[in-house]
Amino acid sequence: MDEYDELFEIEDNFDEQFADELEVLAEIEAPKAKRQKQDPGVVKRLFTSSEIKTSGGLSWTDDITPPSSPEHYEPSNTVRSVPAMLDISGFATIPETPRRPDIETRASLRVLKRPPVEGDYISVTDSSGTRVYLHQKEETGPKIADSRIVPNSQGSLGLLAVPISVLREQEAEKVSENGDTCFNEDGEDDPEDAEGRSTRLWVDRFSPRHYTELLSDDFTNRCLLKWLKLWDTVVFGRERKSRSARSDRHALNQNSSKPNQPNQNANRFKSKIEVTEELLEAELDQYKRPKFKVAMLSGPPGLGKTTLAHVIAKHAGYNVVEINASDDRSAEVFQKRIDTATQMKSVLGANERPNCLIIDEIDGAPAAAINILLATLNRKDGPSGEGETAKKKKKKESILQRPIICICNDLYVPALRPLRQQAFLLAFPQTQPSRLTQRLAEISLRQGMKADTGTLMSLCEKTDNDIRSCINTLQFLHSRGHTQLNAKTIQSVSVGQKDQNKGLFHLWQEIFQLPRTKRKRVGEGYEEAPGSGGGAQRFQHILHLASSSGEYEKVAQGLHDNYLSMRVRDPNLHGVCEALEWLSFSDRLNKVILHGQNFTMMKYLPFLSVSFHFLFAHTNVPRISYPHSQHEVSTRILSSRNTLTTMLNDIPACIRMRISQLSLTLDILTLLLDIICPKLRPVNPQLFSSREKEQMHELIDTMLAYNLSYRQDRTPEGQYTYVLEPRVEELVKFPGLPPRRQLTYQAKQTISREMEQEKMRRAEQLLMQRNPVQKEKESAASKPTRNHQQRLENIVKQTTVETRPEVDFFGRAVAPKPQRPQPSSDSGEKCAVLSMGTAVGNSDVWFRFNEGMSNAVRRNVYIRELL
Amino acid sequence: MSLWVDKYRPNSLAKLDYHKEQATQLKNLVQCGDFPHLLVYGPSGAGKKTRIMCLLRELYGAGVEKLRIEHQTIVAPSKKKIEINTIASNYHLEVNPSDAGNQDRVVIQELIKTVAQSQQIQSSTQREFKVVLLTEVDRLTKDAQHALRRTMEKYMATCRLILCCNSTSKVIGPIRSRCLAIRVPLPSTEEVCSVLSTVCKKEGLLLPPELAKQICEKSGRNLRKALLMCEACRVQQYPFSADQDVPETDWEVYLRETANAIVSQQSPQRLLEVRARLYELLTHCIPPEIIMKGLVTELLNNCDGHLKTEVAHMAAYYEHRLQLGNKAIYHLEAFTAKFMAIYKKFMEDGLDAMMF
Repeated sequence: MDEYDELFEIEDNFDEQFADELEVLAEIEAPKAKRQKQDPGVVKRLFTSSEIKTSGGLSWTDDITPPSSPEHYEPSNTVRSVPAMLDISGFATIPETPRRPDIETRASLRVLKRPPVEGDYISVTDSSGTRVYLHQKEETGPKIADSRIVPNSQGSLGLLAVPISVLREQEAEKVSENGDTCFNEDGEDDPEDAEGRSTRLWVDRFSPRHYTELLSDDFTNRCLLKWLKLWDTVVFGRERKSRSARSDRHALNQNSSKPNQPNQNANRFKSKIEVTEELLEAELDQYKRPKFKVAMLSGPPGLGKTTLAHVIAKHAGYNVVEINASDDRSAEVFQKRIDTATQMKSVLGANERPNCLIIDEIDGAPAAAINILLATLNRKDGPSGEGETAKKKKKKESILQRPIICICNDLYVPALRPLRQQAFLLAFPQTQPSRLTQRLAEISLRQGMKADTGTLMSLCEKTDNDIRSCINTLQFLHSRGHTQLNAKTIQSVSVGQKDQNKGLFHLWQEIFQLPRTKRKRVGEGYEEAPGSGGGAQRFQHILHLASSSGEYEKVAQGLHDNYLSMRVRDPNLHGVCEALEWLSFSDRLNKVILHGQNFTMMKYLPFLSVSFHFLFAHTNVPRISYPHSQHEVSTRILSSRNTLTTMLNDIPACIRMRISQLSLTLDILTLLLDIICPKLRPVNPQLFSSREKEQMHELIDTMLAYNLSYRQDRTPEGQYTYVLEPRVEELVKFPGLPPRRQLTYQAKQTISREMEQEKMRRAEQLLMQRNPVQKEKESAASKPTRNHQQRLENIVKQTTVETRPEVDFFGRAVAPKPQRPQPSSDSGEKCAVLSMGTAVGNSDVWFRFNEGMSNAVRRNVYIRELL
Repeated sequence: MSLWVDKYRPNSLAKLDYHKEQATQLKNLVQCGDFPHLLVYGPSGAGKKTRIMCLLRELYGAGVEKLRIEHQTIVAPSKKKIEINTIASNYHLEVNPSDAGNQDRVVIQELIKTVAQSQQIQSSTQREFKVVLLTEVDRLTKDAQHALRRTMEKYMATCRLILCCNSTSKVIGPIRSRCLAIRVPLPSTEEVCSVLSTVCKKEGLLLPPELAKQICEKSGRNLRKALLMCEACRVQQYPFSADQDVPETDWEVYLRETANAIVSQQSPQRLLEVRARLYELLTHCIPPEIIMKGLVTELLNNCDGHLKTEVAHMAAYYEHRLQLGNKAIYHLEAFTAKFMAIYKKFMEDGLDAMMF
């Protein structure tokens, strides 16, 4: 098939013209076997003819169209129903080529609505049910019957721009003179490639230039390409072809001939693939952009994410603009670059293509930059026609109309969270070792290195299928003069290891688990000695893992929490002692590092993991739990400290100065709690004997002095209990010890009530002390006029008629008229009331009868008299 | 003032119950109305604070007993606000700088400077210096102690320092050399017993001497604890009986059980259980040094004479590690494991010897 690919490449504007037919391209990649079976019908014949006739030369390309195939009638994709012509049909729908009218006429010649009168024909029915008839070609042997295929002067068929034989010769030449042509078809690149061959990295030299050369997973590639094609409507102004989901799935089924791709026939649940497909099928938004404006590629380094993005963007007809971590990504610069890339277009130079922005290594970008990106994505087209200012603004903030591809290693960086929701996420799966090995073999062959598959496989394994690392290692070995590679060389080379964080659990697992005995490789000489050689290797392995994890503190905690539950025979506890020795060493090291800021010591921290590995590693799979204990303990210590502080804070100064937090916990608290639980008779405190009263008084005094009180609390069961406040009981209680003697609920209630009273008493005392003068004055003033007296006088006043100086309407005093002598009874009655009032008021007790009420007696009573 | 500890605390040097000679010396020291910086040290419950307060009263009169709690806020150079409680009278200021944790240096610098720089207004009626009482000096960081050095000399005219701590081993040399060190040892058993019986007499109770002795033993001659225990006994049962059991602090009981667990079985599983218990003790705010000390004491009771030196040696070794490190649990556990290993080996050797 290589010839075919190369054939296609010759067309200069191939990329653009061909952009529509991604499905076809996808097929070029995948079902090779099928095609090879189907093709010969047409192709072989073409080749044979041209081979016979050609004598070389390029002069006749003028009138020759790209190979036009009989299926030309139908621009839609239903041509799949004619499998024989499949891949050539790709050329049929090239839009906007200058030769198009020509093709059209030719096509109309060939595609007939009715059965042709003469010659053989084939009837073809498309999915919409339209039936058309095609001429059947005559045998294209030496004599050409069909008038379409005009033999040129050389007698060749002329389906190709360049005769196949010429192409082949050229290819052969290229291959012979320049080993790596296969990966480097661009003619322009060749000279510079040749001169810089020794200096350029192989990774660059052999990097894929074309979609079909990508090593990454087909499905991922296709998804990204499809997503990019969704932009065609808005970028290139082409209409999106509507396809039924069914045919699409059908296509997918055809494509997914690889066994590791999940089966599509599970209808009940949508597989991840189907979900992704559906995302891609989703409707465009109001600006005819796809729903997700950003594609986000994520995966470990060295799988070819950047390469994929570049190749696909180029393939889809874009000019790639890349921003990566080496650029300044501060907010303003980032904004500027995004705007430049998405809203401008180069007018000079060869690549007058729309831009496609690739933001590489976005996981390292600051959150501000990502917010800017988000703002760009969510820009709405401002409502038009709102005056001049609005127009200006709108010009400045037009909507995003170019695709953006983001690439990151870690998808779950916090800064990326908002972007994750708006991006078309594509996780990069591991490269298949077989494909990688194949590619490596090709490279090494071209470079004249001898390496068998097994060796390359082991290289792949060593680098975790990291393409870049593999090729770099190869080049390194090459430059060191190794032309004969074997497994031993690979094993001894220490390059090609990634500094990659694999997660804490993985690390703990590796530490506590012995490596499984190495699988024996077929046809390979190396075998690992289980004892001695393995030790050093294990040492290095664990050291590498531990030092790349970086979280030494957490790792040490995990080791400490888990090492005792490992199933290692250690009857004399020597291993445990050793391990703890190491732990305490690392603890002291940590203290030195943190207190002295002596960070050079950090390099000794990962050795803890290594020593634990050698002490406790076991073949069984360890059960590792996440280390919570230390964090738990520290929070609990903090809460107990807080309790103590609250207790101490309100203790009066004279006692406060005698106790410290330490003496409180060590000496006082337990005994204090004992002391405040005296044996009380369960009777009303009024009935206590004087000795009991004194005891009670002391108890309350102590509790107040130490800032303890009982608070009524409701248990979840609905019962009421009294608990000590602050909650120091928990501070002295240890699990497994016999519970302390507790007071009964009644006793606590009594104490609580008495305490309240005592508090009130003290508060009153304090008040008396603070302003004794005022108090005295008050009492002095209140002595002569008692409460009831005042009221009584009021009542009396109400009853008595006040004599006011008479005023006239204008408020002037009216001269009192000579008073007529009044009946004496009136005045006498008044006097009686008055005298009665004063009589009542002068007594200590005053009754006022309220019917049905018993609180008729009022008296001034002080709290202290009642208590 | 209702706990016996508080109620019967002597408040003048003349009334002190024991170490009377030292009391006289102190009295002579302040006779002239001045004294050097003091470093009072001794185990907890020996009466350091009582002595200091008596001394201050001797110096200033009853005014020192009018105390108030002040909440001070100090702004560190890093703009961090540190809140600390001080207890002050008109004549002195008491502060526990280790409450501020790592920022204790700032507390020392700021607080003492403000106190020391303000002159007494009426020096005719008062002393011309104030006293700053620093407690728990052994828990100060090295930085803070170094900050103290210069301050002590610079403000000698206006302020005197009284440092109070349990052990001088953690006080740096320069500070020790600037102070007059006063050691307050624990009272002897007889002294504790006599104090207990005096207190009981004042309370109108009759304390059998056997019980007093028992209390004294249980409290480890810590007078504060002894008085509290005595009062707890009183609450528990009165009239006292000679063989009544004295209530103990829970953490000591728990620690003893832990030690027993260590002695009864030596295996990684047991170590795991012991770890949980150690964690439990730590979360109850028991300092790791005290846990270590308690463990060693209990373990030494349980093991053979031949082992004792080795165990004590190990304890010292790990205690030192504990001081150097941050995570107490590692060192406590390391000591436990080491003890288990030694003990197990010893027992097995013993068994072998018996077999042959």
